Amino acid sequence: MLLEQLINGLTLGGIYALIAVGYTMVYGVIQLINFAHGEVYMLGAFFALTFINLLGLPFYLAFLLSMVCCAVCGMLLDMVAYRPLRRSPRLAALITAIGMSIFLQNLAMIIWGSRPLPFAQEAVPAYFEAKAFTLAGVSLSWFQLFIFGVTIIMMTGLNLIIKKTSTGRAMRAVAQNKTMAALVGVNVNKVITITFALAGAMAAAAGIMVGVYYNSLYPTMGYIAGVKAFAAAVLGGIGSVPGAMLGGVVLGVAEALGAGYLSSLYRDGISYAVMIIVIVFIPAGFFGKLIRETKKSL
Amino acid sequence: MSQSQARFLKRGNLVKLGLLALTLILPLLPYVSEYLIHVVILILLYMILALGLNIVPGFNGLLDLGYVGFYGIGAYTSGLLTVHFGLSYWAIIPLAFMNGAIWGILLGAPTLRLTGDYFAIVTFGFSELVCLVLTNEIWLTRGPLGLPGIDPVSIDLSWLGGPRWELMGPEVGEVPYYYLVLAMVLVTVFVMNRIQNSRLGRAWFAIRDDELAAVSCGVNLLTYKVIAFAISAAFGAVGGSFFARWVTFLSPDMFKFWESFLILCMIVLGGMGNIWGVMLGAAVLVSLGEILREILPWLGLPAEVRFLAFGLIMVIVMRYRPAGLMPIPSVARQMEAARVKRKRVKTPGFKA
Amino acid sequence: MVCRRLTLILGVLALGLALTAGPVLAETIKIGVAAPYTGGAAAYGDNIKAGVNLKLEEINGAGGIKGKKVEIVWGDDLCEPKEAGTVGSKFAADKSIVAVIGHLCSSATLAALPIYVRSGLPCISPTSTNVTIGKVGKGWFFRNVYRDDFQGKFLARYVSKILGLKKVAVFHENNDYAIGLKDAFVAEAKAVGLTVVGIEAYVAKTTDFTPQLTKLLTNKPDAIFLCGYYQEGALIAGQARKKDFTGPLFGADGIDNADYIKIAGKAADDTYMTVPFLADAAGPEAKGFIERFKKSTGRDLDWMSANAYDCMGILAEVIGKVGADRKKIRDALAAMSSADKGYKGVTGVTFFDKLGDCQKPAFVKMVKDGKFTPAKQM
Repeated sequence: MLLEQLINGLTLGGIYALIAVGYTMVYGVIQLINFAHGEVYMLGAFFALTFINLLGLPFYLAFLLSMVCCAVCGMLLDMVAYRPLRRSPRLAALITAIGMSIFLQNLAMIIWGSRPLPFAQEAVPAYFEAKAFTLAGVSLSWFQLFIFGVTIIMMTGLNLIIKKTSTGRAMRAVAQNKTMAALVGVNVNKVITITFALAGAMAAAAGIMVGVYYNSLYPTMGYIAGVKAFAAAVLGGIGSVPGAMLGGVVLGVAEALGAGYLSSLYRDGISYAVMIIVIVFIPAGFFGKLIRETKKSL
Repeated sequence: MSQSQARFLKRGNLVKLGLLALTLILPLLPYVSEYLIHVVILILLYMILALGLNIVPGFNGLLDLGYVGFYGIGAYTSGLLTVHFGLSYWAIIPLAFMNGAIWGILLGAPTLRLTGDYFAIVTFGFSELVCLVLTNEIWLTRGPLGLPGIDPVSIDLSWLGGPRWELMGPEVGEVPYYYLVLAMVLVTVFVMNRIQNSRLGRAWFAIRDDELAAVSCGVNLLTYKVIAFAISAAFGAVGGSFFARWVTFLSPDMFKFWESFLILCMIVLGGMGNIWGVMLGAAVLVSLGEILREILPWLGLPAEVRFLAFGLIMVIVMRYRPAGLMPIPSVARQMEAARVKRKRVKTPGFKA
Repeated sequence: MVCRRLTLILGVLALGLALTAGPVLAETIKIGVAAPYTGGAAAYGDNIKAGVNLKLEEINGAGGIKGKKVEIVWGDDLCEPKEAGTVGSKFAADKSIVAVIGHLCSSATLAALPIYVRSGLPCISPTSTNVTIGKVGKGWFFRNVYRDDFQGKFLARYVSKILGLKKVAVFHENNDYAIGLKDAFVAEAKAVGLTVVGIEAYVAKTTDFTPQLTKLLTNKPDAIFLCGYYQEGALIAGQARKKDFTGPLFGADGIDNADYIKIAGKAADDTYMTVPFLADAAGPEAKGFIERFKKSTGRDLDWMSANAYDCMGILAEVIGKVGADRKKIRDALAAMSSADKGYKGVTGVTFFDKLGDCQKPAFVKMVKDGKFTPAKQM
């Protein structure tokens, strides 16, 4: 059973990691907890469902198109809601983020209804159903491997972008010190927009895979997944991308093991408890650095 | 008329007196139905909660996202004590107050040294954990089965050989509850006012405006923040205790994050830090909810628009009027000065 | 300047509130129907609406009750106790509303009931199954659906006697409906010699059940009890089948929904469920109703709509007998205390005991080849 729980946990963890990375990147560049990020994840799943059902697109095309749309959504979120508040107190931006989250949730409820919708399984390639291989009595399906694969590819890709490209360098510069980055010629606004776009695309991928794997989409799915992914980002050290990846995996495994061995009722509580304990005792998480506020606290 | 009397009769105070008189005679007016009384009781209850929450973001400048946790603790304290021990409500109010304060201190002491964002997240996590505990610990709270049959408030003079009045009944409806919660609101406002003008309040404002400067003036940040958080939690618990004895039924899903967000909306919309603004925010949002409930079917819009509207209001208020409808005096002065400056600059041919 | 704005805002609000609250004199008989029409449980509210509307058409089409048309006042309680309190207060304050059909969720009913008891407004619920409601109702509450404990007991006996199984695993949602079911099931299981090899719980909206399923399946149960609603039940079914569980699944009325088959797909096969209403076991009058329902809503009849339809029918009959008076309606409902004094509707004969609970049989249906069909009845 332990192996099976581990695999459950790793699958969950990969999903959390994809969403957590989005939180951590945005926090890194503008020090804002983007509460609406969970809703972008939810929209990713719903966009894919709509593309398949309404436009009859094939699975992979719907996947990619949904990622693009969510990247755009992320950019719009920044431009419409957060950019005007760049110079405002932090409290204002946080409240705006919560407001946008509530707005998007209810908008989705109006558009798609509040009943859980099944994902269009007919569109998903049939080979995903089959079992890939069996290891010590535990079987892995091709779709689980797909989830692992996509997660690893995206993480590696993100790491490459951040470490090797000039855009990534610009992102790191803005995360370190916005003013100085602007002084050396970085287009801060463009970098922030790109960050939101990347975060949105990865969240969309997570959302679609969750939608297919669990076959249940509903407008409030972003809320709880968002909270857990945020806990994962905090665990890994908010602002650190590798930290978010590791934090996601660790949290996923902890949740699966906790639900399997301890108490399934407090399953969500594990994330909250982890979050609180990490923030209170080791605010820097695994890899992060302690964010010290130098300006006025409001 | 002496000078102090003349100052008292300023416009603002007259309006407040007028409103007070109106609320005192409200149940006696015609066209006031039981439903209206019910809604006004709800408004007054949210006013107490909003005034409680106002202490933390409004006076201290910290974001508290977990207020509903204390609301729930107070409600279940009240409900459980009533159901298991039959305690009188008058004994429960101080008990709920203390329980709330204790939990406020327990949560605040280790976490208030964190920066604003982290503190907000920790409070959020706390309130979610409270909700989970309320739901899962069935032996204590009956969990999702709910806690029905909580006695309504009563004035029991039978130990003196006198009569016993229940504050809720077929003939009087909820009117006695209305006066009870009105009295509680007035007491809360009085307390807030006094705190505002005391050393405690001034220390809080100093923390809000500039923590570094406050520390250099000798304000012990952690102590004052914990006191603020504890008092805020205590008022939340008192509000919850009233709620339990009013609705006479408790269920853990009444205490979800949405309530915290709603109360936050109220204080943001009304004017964070301003006692009257906060009360106005409570009145506006609850009434808006009820009015929207009525007119949305007329307009053919789905009812989710109600919640969508709240989210949208927050975003718009934060964008254009972050200080709220009734900003605190210092911010109001700044805004007024800015407005005057803009007007002056607009005058053609005038070189400032 | 602030004061003027303040007065304006308060004035508008007060006007708005006063307008919403004012009762309207009418020459119609008004009945309040409280259910969630928005939010997560809106699907169930739609069912209630459909059932009530069908009966309403019938009544008003035949000229109303003693010449007066019936008007429905819909109250959206979002399946939340706080909203239910406000809706209940609204209904109670409107003296022209003589009875309430509702609420759908037991917690909403429990929250609104003290208000109805206090203002003397009879309330009949087509779907609230929580056991404690009858006591809180103090004679003003009635329901034409069986209670959770009855259903749980029935299931235990059915699984043991008819399906002949020995070991079951219970997977229940953490809400009042499921806990009531689970407790009754587990108690009766002990009595009939059924072994419960594991009990796991989940919260609503969970999508990943794999950790708990792994735990339950290590004990090799013969069947899994899907003790909750169809949304999670369907997902559990799918995930259990993926883990190569081939035994039957069973559940109660919460699983009874066409979406269960839609979401679970092939995994839904071999699922049994108890339902208060089974179209195939219904009498001839019911058949006509079933067809009219299908024609007007385009979907198959579900038990909630049937119960709501009968609630409306019960009220119509009672109001026809005693008139539109709250207390008289309650007394007449309380007088329906045995089968011969009961109401004969599409769901069978409905009559109430002292707590307002009714004795209704439970039927069993199952999913075979992607469709609902009746199972062997007990």
